[in-house]
Amino acid sequence: MKRYDLIVVGAGPSGLSAAIEGAKRGLQVVVFDENEKPGGQLFKQIHKFFGSKEHKAKIRGFVIGEQLLKEASELGVKVVLNATVTGLYMDKELVVKIADTIYHYKGDAILIATGAAENMVTFEGWTLPGVIGAGAAQTMMNLHGVKPGNRILMLGSGNVGLVVSFQLLQCGCEVAALVDAAPRVGGYGVHAAKVARCGVPFYLSHTIVKAEGEECVTGVTIAEVDKKFQFIPGTEKHFDVDTICLAVGLSPMSQLLKIAGCEMEDNPKRGGQVPICNEYGETSIKGIFVAGDVSGVEEASSAMIEGRIAGIAAAQYLGYIGIEELEEKFEENKAALEGLRQGMFAPENRGKLIERTEEGIPVSMNLLTKGYIAEDEIERYPGVTHRAGIHPVMECSQNIPCNPCQDACPRHCIQIGSHITSLPVVDESAQCVGCGLCVAACSGQAIFLVQEDYEPGYGTVTIPYEFLPLPQKGEKGYGLDRSGQRVCEAQVMEVKTAKTFDHTNLLTIRVPVDMVGKARFYRKIF
Amino acid sequence: MQHINDRAIAPGTFIPEPDDDRIICRCEEVTKGEIRRAVHEGMYTITEIRRYLRTGMGLCQGQTCARLVKGIVAKELGISPAELIPATSRAPMRPVEMKVLAKEEGRHV
Repeated sequence: MKRYDLIVVGAGPSGLSAAIEGAKRGLQVVVFDENEKPGGQLFKQIHKFFGSKEHKAKIRGFVIGEQLLKEASELGVKVVLNATVTGLYMDKELVVKIADTIYHYKGDAILIATGAAENMVTFEGWTLPGVIGAGAAQTMMNLHGVKPGNRILMLGSGNVGLVVSFQLLQCGCEVAALVDAAPRVGGYGVHAAKVARCGVPFYLSHTIVKAEGEECVTGVTIAEVDKKFQFIPGTEKHFDVDTICLAVGLSPMSQLLKIAGCEMEDNPKRGGQVPICNEYGETSIKGIFVAGDVSGVEEASSAMIEGRIAGIAAAQYLGYIGIEELEEKFEENKAALEGLRQGMFAPENRGKLIERTEEGIPVSMNLLTKGYIAEDEIERYPGVTHRAGIHPVMECSQNIPCNPCQDACPRHCIQIGSHITSLPVVDESAQCVGCGLCVAACSGQAIFLVQEDYEPGYGTVTIPYEFLPLPQKGEKGYGLDRSGQRVCEAQVMEVKTAKTFDHTNLLTIRVPVDMVGKARFYRKIF
Repeated sequence: MQHINDRAIAPGTFIPEPDDDRIICRCEEVTKGEIRRAVHEGMYTITEIRRYLRTGMGLCQGQTCARLVKGIVAKELGISPAELIPATSRAPMRPVEMKVLAKEEGRHV
């Protein structure tokens, strides 16, 4: 039996973060992961993360994964892949299956960071090939380079459903509809808006009646539901699709903790069966820690911080550091964690209808039901201004903890202030030079550069563009509005790509001057 | 949350529903109707349902259906899923072939 100071189960964002903090303090650390690739869900996340610098905002998820792996290996952390931990026994003994052999390990401290598994819903035909989880779609696209289907219906409007819908569009799939039984979009409005402006219709208060097909999915019927989630007869809608993608929440994979005998609770707010743990992530069994989704479903940014706290706490538990260092580091990390848990999407606001922003501005109801801010709502937001010359228009309408735009502008045109969830405002005294750094920095792709006086009768709109192949300069196409409807002809004036933009290309289109406030996406004429 | 294990709960008479033939546990091919009927036959806990019908005992070890089965049983008993005694977790947490279990490090079969 091999012994380690700290054994981490799960090489995702929280597990790797904990391993790094432990190894930094002199612990001998091993990380087991049952997958063939490390990083947990991080390597499937190709979008830029939200938050501030300390949360690794505007860095794409898979890059964060690479950074964590590099740091862990430099610190001497051993990451063992294809290693399935099948049991956790008394005195912190682990049984691990590696290839076709069973190994026994003992950890003086254990950290369980096994994450969560996708939930499923059932409907007629749900077992047909072609009904897949959103996570499976991401694995196919982003890890294996396989297109999950040609025409897809997405069920679930939380951040997973929205982000994966956008990735499906990037992958070249057609998203026929985005459906949710809830009456309002669950995820970030900016994620919804970038899907809606590609022309994907949103059906809130709708769910799947049945998946059609004999051998595999060939279609789907949805229908509207009432407040008690019962189908309303006569509201059925049919779509020809070959794939149905389910993004209906996650459940913690906490079985190992239960096997070990940790005290558990059934907590719907945390996603299901979770261990009872203290502020450092220590369970009812001394020396067994948890971090990330397994202790309550949240997101990768918070999982990394929880992992750091638990890793430091494990070092203190084993006597590598004193209680003072733990307390000091805990306060720092707690502040970062609280920063992420603010705003409209804070855990305590889950499921609540928030009608006004912190600034007192009415929230766009169209955004919550259709996925985009309506024409008569957009002017309310402080980021949406009109002026001569080129200037940023920030269609950021919800209080979420995110501020890369503020640091991106070299001229300090954009201000969020010290309160990270505040809506960005334009400093009228600063002069925009049209560099587009803010457009590329916005993780929600909600910033546009607008010039109303480009030439007589025409203005330009610069949009963040993450689709391939890139349009060519001079090419002609259509301007699409926030709902994805064609509203005008558009000509591509410039396509800017730079290393600092990190694959968010800036597409400048020329549109009739009355369309500069409407055109938010571009599509080529075929 | 208090767990309910009251054998006196009477789930009433079994009333067939149109989707009773829908498969819930894919690995063991157990339908919604079978799960509902099991409740009426006296299986009030997830452990009993698992032993009686083998739901969640297949290849995926309940990863897909555990939550669904819980919901169906709770609904049939007229309680919230959180009030049901959760299922026991046992090693091996993932399916392991017997020949692998028998092959321990340092000991060759």
